[in-house]
Amino acid sequence: MTTKLHPLLIVFAAVIFAILVAPLFIILGAAVSDTSFLTFPPQGFTMRWFTNIFDITAFRTTAITSLQVAVTGTFLALLIGIPAAYAMNRFRIRLPSWLSNVFVLPILVPEIVLGFSLVKSITIGLELPVFATLLIGHTLLVLPYAVRVVGASLASFDFSIEEAAISLGCPPLKTFFTVVLPNIGAGVVAAFILAFITSINDVSTSLFLTGPGVSTLPIQIIAHMEQFFDPTIASVSVLLMILTVGVMAIVEATLGLTFLTK
Amino acid sequence: MTKNLRLLASALAMGVAFAASAVSAEAKTFTISWWGYNGDKLNANIIEPFKKICGCDIVFETGNNADRVNKLKLRGGKGVDVIYLSDSFSQAGIADGLFLKIDGSKLPNLADLYDLAKDPQGGYGPAYTIGRVGIVYDAAKVNPAITSWNDLWRPDLKSAVSLPGITTTAGPMVVMQAGKHAGVDAFTNADKAFEAVTALKPNVAKNYNTGSELVNLLSTGEAKVSIAQDFTLASMKAAVPTMTWATLKEGDIATLNTVNIPKGSENVDLAYQFINFILSKPVQQLEAEQGVDAPVSKKVELTPEQAKIWTYGADTIAKLTLLNYAKMNDAKMDWIDRWNEIFSK
Amino acid sequence: MVKRLTPWLLAAPATLLVLAFLILPVGSTLATTFLEPKGWIAPYVTFFNSGVRRTVLYRTIEISVITTVLSVIIGFIAAYVVAHVPGRLKSIMIIAAVFPLLTGVVVRSFAWLILLGKNGILNSALLGLGLISQPLSMLYTEGAVIAAMVYLFVPLMILTLAGVLEGIPKDVLEAATSLGATPFGVFRQVILPLAMPGLIVGAVLVFTGSFTSYATPQLLGGEKQMMMGTLLYQRAMVTFDWVGASTVAAIMVVVTFVIVFLMTRLARRLNPMVA
Repeated sequence: MTTKLHPLLIVFAAVIFAILVAPLFIILGAAVSDTSFLTFPPQGFTMRWFTNIFDITAFRTTAITSLQVAVTGTFLALLIGIPAAYAMNRFRIRLPSWLSNVFVLPILVPEIVLGFSLVKSITIGLELPVFATLLIGHTLLVLPYAVRVVGASLASFDFSIEEAAISLGCPPLKTFFTVVLPNIGAGVVAAFILAFITSINDVSTSLFLTGPGVSTLPIQIIAHMEQFFDPTIASVSVLLMILTVGVMAIVEATLGLTFLTK
Repeated sequence: MTKNLRLLASALAMGVAFAASAVSAEAKTFTISWWGYNGDKLNANIIEPFKKICGCDIVFETGNNADRVNKLKLRGGKGVDVIYLSDSFSQAGIADGLFLKIDGSKLPNLADLYDLAKDPQGGYGPAYTIGRVGIVYDAAKVNPAITSWNDLWRPDLKSAVSLPGITTTAGPMVVMQAGKHAGVDAFTNADKAFEAVTALKPNVAKNYNTGSELVNLLSTGEAKVSIAQDFTLASMKAAVPTMTWATLKEGDIATLNTVNIPKGSENVDLAYQFINFILSKPVQQLEAEQGVDAPVSKKVELTPEQAKIWTYGADTIAKLTLLNYAKMNDAKMDWIDRWNEIFSK
Repeated sequence: MVKRLTPWLLAAPATLLVLAFLILPVGSTLATTFLEPKGWIAPYVTFFNSGVRRTVLYRTIEISVITTVLSVIIGFIAAYVVAHVPGRLKSIMIIAAVFPLLTGVVVRSFAWLILLGKNGILNSALLGLGLISQPLSMLYTEGAVIAAMVYLFVPLMILTLAGVLEGIPKDVLEAATSLGATPFGVFRQVILPLAMPGLIVGAVLVFTGSFTSYATPQLLGGEKQMMMGTLLYQRAMVTFDWVGASTVAAIMVVVTFVIVFLMTRLARRLNPMVA
């Protein structure tokens, strides 16, 4: 929908976005500062905090693990989360209302306790390998975004359109992909972004779920920071932002803007 | 839309393939649990040479002290063959019965160590490096110079001090020193010790929990005096060149990093071999020269320039106070509550 | 028969995942607090007997509620604008909203230190303008913690709401306006009820997120503004007292549940269709 926006609204939104983005210039400045500590305004200019990331082997290996876990975990969560969100909105009366609260549990339970309990039950109880535990933990951690954010979009979807398609002979699954999914695209993308970022940033749960041979990038960053206080952490943030712009650009180029914004 | 679907499916497949490739790799291995910083230097100085000696694969569990102890505890002492910890956490592991007693005869290099490092915790793992906790201050802003732990209570330092949080390595040492300031032993008279902590509160700007937080507080001028571990000094000096390590008449407090063999270790002999290796003179020398860890081997010789960043030399080490970690860990829960009462109300 | 089961079959995989890997394991952890030799209530009595712990609990509720309300209002307005601007600008705004989420907590709090610190940008500006004569202490206050958390949760709110607000059909708004509704009337009678599912989801995510937060309050509030997350951390990771930690966790879960329940009730009164 495109309607006229009140000028005051535009000003307000501009201020909000300015505030959201402003601290990032400080981080960018700190990341290129030629000092061995975080400082702003930057003193001198250097790229060494960026090359530092690539020079330290552990950053590379853990970044790969983090990406694997975040991508797989997010997709798994969407794969099981979207049907659940769909069921809860489409068949509202036939599912108990408390069910939607079940899917908030993973962010409601403090992460340390979740991590601790998972180690106890999966790593030790089921003797699953470390990577599998980490993946299960992350899938669980991002499930709330998959179910609830997609669910919020589905709540305003008019299911009579779907029924019309089915009554015209379109198979249910095909109807879902051709009628329902395109209408909640923005919700799915938002869920994907939130889930992916939650997973890639997670520290507290991962602290417990990582184990011999498997660690994630945020944990490696924390380990680095126990001993070094240099701007490497700022440059990691900047790299993540650049990566995000890149991913968004690819989404825009391949799927077109329409997918991102419906 | 089918295009989107195909993309989704292939991405999913890729993810699963990634996952599968990461799961394999379970050969005969030696597992080390440590923090995970300085990985590349440690790899060159210790891991690669040791791989040649043992002919084994080496994998790591990384993370901070607390979560590695927690995990080891959950696994009943299994899963890793040797574990690096800072002293208060290795003491916690000992209290939970997680480690094997060390047979000193299997570690010939122990003989070369300073006495302090040989057996700091009653029959368990030796220390492989040493550090100290003391007072740092900005000499340009703090006048007269700080020469005693008691100076922290000076009225001219109002809102200028950053104390280490009670849950950090150096935190409980604040309580110990507060006890001394009040003329009591903090273990036997916690009330008096915490009265002294309360008296210190007006001087506290904000307490810190990590070294990087402290460096930020100093560089932005939020604090100018702190109690800190020596390895943070170089970074503090880089941020504020006038930061100075105080020469305290009561001396500094020693901090040790220890290595222990968990009781579930599947490669005990290798673990002994490994510990003996990291205590050997060549490794200790290399680590000290490259700025990784301070040496505990008396045989290590450093130039004054190399030694500058470390707690080094028989004289310096003799002056250090060693804490009773067993007592401290027992008191910790109570101390944390009391500390919260003062700082978090 | 199959048709009756369809909704359950669709919801089953996600439900089972939560049941098997969250409800059972976490439930068994929390259950340990009830198996105390001193009686199941003992750990809780100990908790509430301490003045500082009660203070921390109230403070955590207060900070989380304020954070949620502010994030909802700010996020709603921003998302409304995002939903109404043309395509390319929209994706730029979404990227801008995502950026703050990508910075680690330590660098982010460093940025706040630069902005709000005694020698920070804001204080220098105010001093320079002659509005204040002495630098203000803005850090380590409840306000600083709330500001930092709102900063962190507004993007989440924007992302959640933008999709929902876009889903509101244009003709509904036009119909309302053509029937003589004032702009406020359209907002109150049409937009707000239709956006309610998104608002409630966002509010729940923000509230639970701020209630369990640990690093942000610790870095920006210090010990003066300690929240429940830190109490939990002290027990679990410093003294390895998992019964104590689970007690704190159980209290956190119960309080969150009560508040989430109240929020959902409130939302349902505004829009009966909210799940």
